[in-house]
Amino acid sequence: MPDTPILQVENLSKFFPVQRGLLRRTVGHVKAVNDVTFTVNKGECLGLVGESGCGKTTVARCLLRLVEPDQGRILLHGERQTFDIASASRKEMLDVRRQMQIIFQDPFSSLDPRWRVTDVIAEPLMAQKVGRGEAGRRVLEILPTVGLGPHFADRFPHELSGGERQRVSIARALIVSPPLVVADEPVSALDVSVRSQIINLLLDLQSQMNLTYVFIAHDLSIVKHISHRIAVMYLGRLVELGTTQQVFEECKHPYTKALLASVLIPDPTHREQSYVLEGEVPSPLNPPSGCHFSTRCPFAQEQCSAEEPELRDMGDGHWVRCHFAEELDLSEEIFAPQFDTPTASN
Amino acid sequence: MPDSQPILEVHDLHVHFKMLAGIVRAVDGVDFTVERGRCLGIVGESGCGKSVTARSILRLLPSSDTSGQILYHPDGDDEPIDLVSLDAKGDAIRAIRGKDIAMIFQEPMTSLTPVYTIGEQIMESIRKHQDLSEEEAQALAISMLNKVGIPDAERRFGDYPHQMSGGMRQRVMIAIALCCEPRVLIADEPTTALDVTIQAQILRLIRSLQQDLDMSVIMITHDLSVIAQLADFVVVMYLGQMAEKAPVVELFQDPKHPYTQALLRSIVRPDTPPREQLHSISGSVPDPRNAPSGCRFRNRCPSVHDRCVEDPPVVEFGPQHSATCWLYVDE
Ligand SMILES: Nc1ncnc2c1ncn2[C@@H]1O[C@H](COP(=O)(O)OP(=O)(O)OP(=O)(O)O)[C@@H](O)[C@H]1O
Ligand SMILES: Nc1ncnc2c1ncn2[C@@H]1O[C@H](COP(=O)(O)OP(=O)(O)O)[C@@H](O)[C@H]1O
Ligand code: SF4
Ligand code: SF4
Ligand SMILES: [Mg+2]
Ligand SMILES: [Mg+2]
Repeated sequence: MPDTPILQVENLSKFFPVQRGLLRRTVGHVKAVNDVTFTVNKGECLGLVGESGCGKTTVARCLLRLVEPDQGRILLHGERQTFDIASASRKEMLDVRRQMQIIFQDPFSSLDPRWRVTDVIAEPLMAQKVGRGEAGRRVLEILPTVGLGPHFADRFPHELSGGERQRVSIARALIVSPPLVVADEPVSALDVSVRSQIINLLLDLQSQMNLTYVFIAHDLSIVKHISHRIAVMYLGRLVELGTTQQVFEECKHPYTKALLASVLIPDPTHREQSYVLEGEVPSPLNPPSGCHFSTRCPFAQEQCSAEEPELRDMGDGHWVRCHFAEELDLSEEIFAPQFDTPTASN
Repeated sequence: MPDSQPILEVHDLHVHFKMLAGIVRAVDGVDFTVERGRCLGIVGESGCGKSVTARSILRLLPSSDTSGQILYHPDGDDEPIDLVSLDAKGDAIRAIRGKDIAMIFQEPMTSLTPVYTIGEQIMESIRKHQDLSEEEAQALAISMLNKVGIPDAERRFGDYPHQMSGGMRQRVMIAIALCCEPRVLIADEPTTALDVTIQAQILRLIRSLQQDLDMSVIMITHDLSVIAQLADFVVVMYLGQMAEKAPVVELFQDPKHPYTQALLRSIVRPDTPPREQLHSISGSVPDPRNAPSGCRFRNRCPSVHDRCVEDPPVVEFGPQHSATCWLYVDE
């Protein structure tokens, strides 16, 4: 695939103020997204992973300007024009939404219970001032694309299963034929048997319509399955970025390695593989000094808590934020099996 | 330890809720045995009756809705107690609930009381079942918090639930469940809401406590990987019924029921070829009020045939392996 960027995110930051007390004084900031830079190429799927609270949803919301970014540029290379989303006007944002749509995390709360399926799906068209009749026709056209019959048009969300609701969200995102779709945990709330249907649908639509995806999930097996490249976040920072091969097979950041090692293997004859990362993600209000991962990293040294590492290019588009990325041997032995030994209380 | 000493036997359990819109057969004929010191996994998709099964063991559901037998064997030689025959509000079940059989619920936030500190909540649970002084109970509570891996337990003792992360709250739930050293721990999706890293920590904790205390565990989950890592024996449920039960390795290597086979095929494995279509099951789980007659899986089953409109038989494949399906019966 020739690498033609469709989306360039440069030094994106979003800090949420934390307020306390009656006067709602600002006592600090949650650095939800901190100086994040990445590019998404036309036709690819970029996976975004990390533990909950690391800033994935906030990145997605910044991309659509559902929250206002504090710093950085978000360049969307549209068919005719390039937009800087972070500073786009209201009118320009209408155009942006024709080029980029979002599918939300939770199919149960993201649909308004009072709206019929047809109105839910037509909503982005109405925002583009498309007439009712035309919108209704386009809804009937798109329903089979997402595997729903025409009789679903008049239903209410509570009359749908989780998988059907997620199909409605996908139809809603695709109705304006956007070349770029941001999917925020689109299958996390779904049952196993329905999850694979939706993944298959997303893969199908991508090849049929030449879509580009930013795919957010915490299920690493699914991200690995669908993504061409993967970005790993920890406490608002990008810590590793590379092709799926680089991130899964040749990972160079201890956090990525720890995430991969805690994936449970669906095989009862391989019980010894889980490495257990100790401790929890520290408070984003007060992240550890230096490398944010230093409090949990098995390789941490003095330098790590003193100096924050830069995101550095290791070659071939593989970026890693670790002082020792070149030297570390992230071999299996260090992440030795520990599933059967008791937890040391730290 | 002698093999296969049952601690809990569930026979022909039915839980039917009578609703305005009709009867919900949430659990419809479930049989299984939990062995001493072992982990039984119950797996199935949303709404298949896992949580209702769990709650009926603790008699947290109205008696009028429940039928069948749930035999609890308190000690090897004693007569078993049929929990279904006990008064759901009586002293007998209360003495068992929390003491002999404890449960960790699906949502840790809703099962901890927001207005009491976690210390108070553990102590309450301890003093309900054990005759200890305030100081003794507090010491035990703190040692439990330490045991479940809460750092700085003495200080966290005074924290309220909202001051803790999801993983910490789940540890507190486990500490409460374990403070009376129960014989059976029922864990209902204890890690579904948690990150992979915390999930691995919690599962390792449950596993090590199970071994230390020689406890039996019922692990309820929709995640086959959790089953693969933890369970000794597995029950697969679909729409209130048992599709298959088998020892864990047999279930993964030689599944017999089309539903189990389809579930196992649909998981993404480390060696699944990237970006290829995944195996999936057509349709979705129907509303239990409109469950098909005969085999409840028949509107989604790739092997469906004429006989499936009638209730399928339970077919044995070994002393501990059976599936409820017509496929293995000659016409
Ligand atoms: N008190 C109740 N009254 C009526 N129906 C109920 C009640 N409790 C549960 N049900 C129904 O019984 C069925 C089984 O519910 P249960 O909570 O056991 O599912 P589950 O397998 O635990 O699902 P999940 O994976 O979503 O937790 C569902 O259809 C549910 O709607
Ligand atoms: N509107 C908001 N106000 C304050 N803090 C927020 C807001 N939205 C998100 N956060 C905080 O920002 C951090 C990143 O959140 P989020 O992007 O939702 O993470 P993820 O999607 O990776 O789980 C978290 O600490 C979260 O609590
Ligand atoms: S910089 Fe240090 S603490 Fe951070 S990941 Fe690298 S080795 Fe670990
Ligand atoms: S009884 Fe029939 S429909 Fe049911 S699982 Fe077996 S083959 Fe499929
Ligand atoms: Mg999120
Ligand atoms: Mg449940």
